[in-house]
Amino acid sequence: MKDIITLLKPRIYSFKGKGFSKNNKGGLFKLLLFGTIGLLFWGGIFAVSLRVLCYFKEIAELGDILAHKLLSMVLLTFLFLLVFSSILTSLSKLYLSRDLSLVHSMPVPSYKVFIARWIESTVDSSWMVIVYTLPVFISYGIVYQTGLLFYINIVMTLLSLSIIASGISSVLVITAVNFLPANRIRSIFIFFGLCFFLVLFFAFRFLRPERLVDPETFGTALVYLKALKTPAPPYLPSTWAFDSMKALLYGNITEGMFHIALSWSFSGVMVFMVIIIAEAIYFKGLSKTRTAQVRLFNYRSSNRLFLKFLSRPVRAFTVKEVRTFFRDQTQWSQLFLIAALVVIYVYNFNVLPIEKAPIKTVYFQNLLSFLNMGLAGFVLTAITARFAYPAVSTEKEAFWLVKSVPIPLKNYLWIKFIIYYLPLLILTEILIVATNILLKVTPFMMGLSITNIFFMVPGVVAMGIGLGAAYPDFKSENPAQTVTSFGGLLFMMVCAGYIGAVIVIEAGPVYNLFMAGIKETGLSVFEWIWTIGSFAIVFIINILAIVLPMRFGERKLSKVLI
Amino acid sequence: MIELKDLTKKYGNLVAVDNMNLTIPTGEIFGFIGPNGAGKTPTINMIGGILAPTSGTVMICGVNMETYPEKAKSKIGFIPERPYLYEKLTGMEFLKFIADLYGMGEDIFLIKSREKLEMFFLADWSDDLIESYSHGMKQRLVMAAALVHDPEVIIVDEPMVGLDPLAIKMVKNLFQHLAKEGVTIFMSTHTLKVAEDICDRIGIIHKGSLIATGTPEDLKRNVNEIDADLEQVFIRLTEE
Repeated sequence: MKDIITLLKPRIYSFKGKGFSKNNKGGLFKLLLFGTIGLLFWGGIFAVSLRVLCYFKEIAELGDILAHKLLSMVLLTFLFLLVFSSILTSLSKLYLSRDLSLVHSMPVPSYKVFIARWIESTVDSSWMVIVYTLPVFISYGIVYQTGLLFYINIVMTLLSLSIIASGISSVLVITAVNFLPANRIRSIFIFFGLCFFLVLFFAFRFLRPERLVDPETFGTALVYLKALKTPAPPYLPSTWAFDSMKALLYGNITEGMFHIALSWSFSGVMVFMVIIIAEAIYFKGLSKTRTAQVRLFNYRSSNRLFLKFLSRPVRAFTVKEVRTFFRDQTQWSQLFLIAALVVIYVYNFNVLPIEKAPIKTVYFQNLLSFLNMGLAGFVLTAITARFAYPAVSTEKEAFWLVKSVPIPLKNYLWIKFIIYYLPLLILTEILIVATNILLKVTPFMMGLSITNIFFMVPGVVAMGIGLGAAYPDFKSENPAQTVTSFGGLLFMMVCAGYIGAVIVIEAGPVYNLFMAGIKETGLSVFEWIWTIGSFAIVFIINILAIVLPMRFGERKLSKVLI
Repeated sequence: MIELKDLTKKYGNLVAVDNMNLTIPTGEIFGFIGPNGAGKTPTINMIGGILAPTSGTVMICGVNMETYPEKAKSKIGFIPERPYLYEKLTGMEFLKFIADLYGMGEDIFLIKSREKLEMFFLADWSDDLIESYSHGMKQRLVMAAALVHDPEVIIVDEPMVGLDPLAIKMVKNLFQHLAKEGVTIFMSTHTLKVAEDICDRIGIIHKGSLIATGTPEDLKRNVNEIDADLEQVFIRLTEE
């Protein structure tokens, strides 16, 4: 046990050093900022859960069934989320961490190293899921007016489920690594995880839950409610958790204790099994991941004739960027996610019940189209955050090359800008045109949307490249995660402000122009001045959004020490 | 030719490089040695244009690094201590990337790249991803990339780390050959034997200051120990 605690100490010390350093003023600011956002998010989940459960409680008979079904679904989702998160974390902790060579060179049995890593992995993969599902369970306690025992049971249940999920994941990972390389497993799991999520989403969307509020389809809803009473599979750990919580909701202490005991006994078995399996095959699998990669096939360079029109440095960086992107398997799942995001986005517009809206359809369609510019801007921000923001950080420690070659940093950043600008412009224009066609908007609105997006994309991309250059992380194993850093958050906030400002400034003039078109009347002199002034301001904002972040990024990046 | 004039680098209150003045003529191999934390890497990075000095100037073949950084860098072949590269490119693609950035013509690149890959025993691996290379292979690829555009100046930090004896011998011979052809080489190293074997002059840096420069014989005379080896001279000069 002493060895295991010693092995965990570097992590504990680094956590202490990170959180409580007196000289770490920037760190304190970040902690406050992220803490506030986290707290708001937690409060939001709590408020929504409380509202939903109060609503259910008001419905006689049916309300309790719905609340139980919701609890069962939350616990099942909780378990799957934990398993998925645990697989990714345990893969990194057990097989991919840089310090593994060091700890395995110590005179400590490999199973003890495994246990220490497994504890770390369990904590890392589950704390956030626990924290953000807690408000849902607390809401149940408040709405059903339970005693203290229910809240203690929540903690016990979630801990037990976390251990079980982490145990299942570790067994899967340890076994899989003996057959496949650890890096590839991570990509496969991410890919299947996304598939799973998308299948669930589409299944939900194709059910079209909005029809449930339509009296004409009420017959279908009754069938659906009948299905709600179907009991969950008894062999699932989430079912034991559900039975335990449900029993304590109504004060059945003995029944509740029985089910929680069942859950904890299985946790104990899982821990025991994981250690036995790890002792047998963990080190064998680890040794496999340490060997050199097999030379599967040669990569022949293409002649790149289609890029001949570009200047040499631009071509060099473009080719490098495209090749490194497509050869990195972890990026593939991201592309898949984007494709899914686009389909979901467009599909949602397709199923909007516009004809049933209480306001005049033409007006409503065009109002949606106007707001859609903002929504498309936010989608663009999310994609930029994932791809363009980490563009500089993806150079990793090879950034010394960029600084040593005879290309000014300014040019380097503009090359990066162009590489990401073109695909993102095409993607966002496709989004806006497709959704406008589905909304059957007026030609004026179509033209306005296309023009607006054309001028907004460079601003968002420039902010991504510029702020990504200002706050790079060349040490990160996964630069895509840099978006969760301070710089990433700043990028998101600045982009939200930028898109919001453009939409707000244009709202008045666009309304006037649109209504003038509908009523077939002209604009007054004041309206003309307002319109021209607003569009001029938006144009200036767009230019500033391009120039300022790029300059800021260049200035900060030139001072970065390698 | 490399000229450093009053070169200084400060990190807050810490003076990493203190008012360094040095001239290395064309075709000379200059060895740069010093204890850990003496200021070797900041000096090398400033000469390579990777780090901006707090004050002072770096001139590469008469070109001021601060005023014309691109022109100055185009004359340099830079070899860092740790060969961090783009792991998802092949060796040949990496050389092409570098050649494009230095504005090399396609025909010359094809000849030069093959020549360098063969010289550094990498021809058989040129179409494999760099992530599959060993540390020594990456180090050799960095050297090939630094030489592919025929630089007038080579800045090299710990050239022999990770190389096998055959490669070390080859690199030593190569540097001597390049120096004869007029290439100026600035080499930082902890391997004193290598410095003694191939360097025309050696500079010792300690606590950010250049405390001695000269041929190995000059340095021995400095400490009044003609029979001592470079290691003894180094210890005498840098001990507290």
